[in-house]
Amino acid sequence: MGMRGGFQRKSKASSEVPSSSLADIAFLLLIFFMVTTVFQADRDRPITWPEAGAAEKIDEKQKNILNIWMERDGSIFINDQPYPMVDVSAVVAPLYAASERALVISIRGDREVPYRFMDQVQKELVAAGVVRVVFAAQLEQSMQRERR
Amino acid sequence: MAVLNKKKSKVSDEVPTSSMADIAFLLLIFFLVTTTFPKDKGLAVVLPEPGEEAQVSQKNILHLIIQPTGIVDVKRGENQQVQQMRPQEVEGLWRQEVSANPNLIAAVKTHPDAAYKFMVDVLDALHAANAERISLQVLEN
Repeated sequence: MGMRGGFQRKSKASSEVPSSSLADIAFLLLIFFMVTTVFQADRDRPITWPEAGAAEKIDEKQKNILNIWMERDGSIFINDQPYPMVDVSAVVAPLYAASERALVISIRGDREVPYRFMDQVQKELVAAGVVRVVFAAQLEQSMQRERR
Repeated sequence: MAVLNKKKSKVSDEVPTSSMADIAFLLLIFFLVTTTFPKDKGLAVVLPEPGEEAQVSQKNILHLIIQPTGIVDVKRGENQQVQQMRPQEVEGLWRQEVSANPNLIAAVKTHPDAAYKFMVDVLDALHAANAERISLQVLEN
């Protein structure tokens, strides 16, 4: 560059948008979302879901939903722990009180479980003072329904 | 030979990092899009408070008795006449009955040996027919 004229002088400031920090920002966001994503606390039990066409999404925050799993033989699992039927009320009541009565119980029963066990669980939940209960089911497609 | 040593290579000796941001954003957007929170689905019911017992006139009760075979026995209040149907047919029945009597309550009584799915089928039919007053019981005796 000679001193051919003032207007031809190149500015020392780069004319490009600095993009080197863009990757840092992207990774920061990526890591932020990875860390803040919470998945279900308890693992799924091996059950065959009942099907229902009128099943609706549970309108409650994930942390306010407690899953009670019931396998085909009537055994009960809450938060990955097996419990005898008579203890359900004692297990649920403190959790229900801790949630300030906002807890929704999702009963995830195997479709073939005899109803006597379901009835016992409901009686235990009534004893614990629980009001909102959902019988978890898979959404049944209307095509299947018509075929039956 | 001194000239050869001083010659600068035109190839940059840096790893190209300009596309890194694109890759990172691609990953970010990919994970944002593919993350699905498994929203639970189910049939919501409201359990009675402990000790809560409502007295309901027999004429306002529609008894739905679920047999172990999945067949539903329908009894209307005091009427001893039994009508048998499949769980799917309860939806139409309820719509019919509730238009005749808006105060009707569905008393679902399931046999202890009946599979849970039959109760879900009946409950599903009642939900599909917008029934709100449902009582879930186990069939005694």
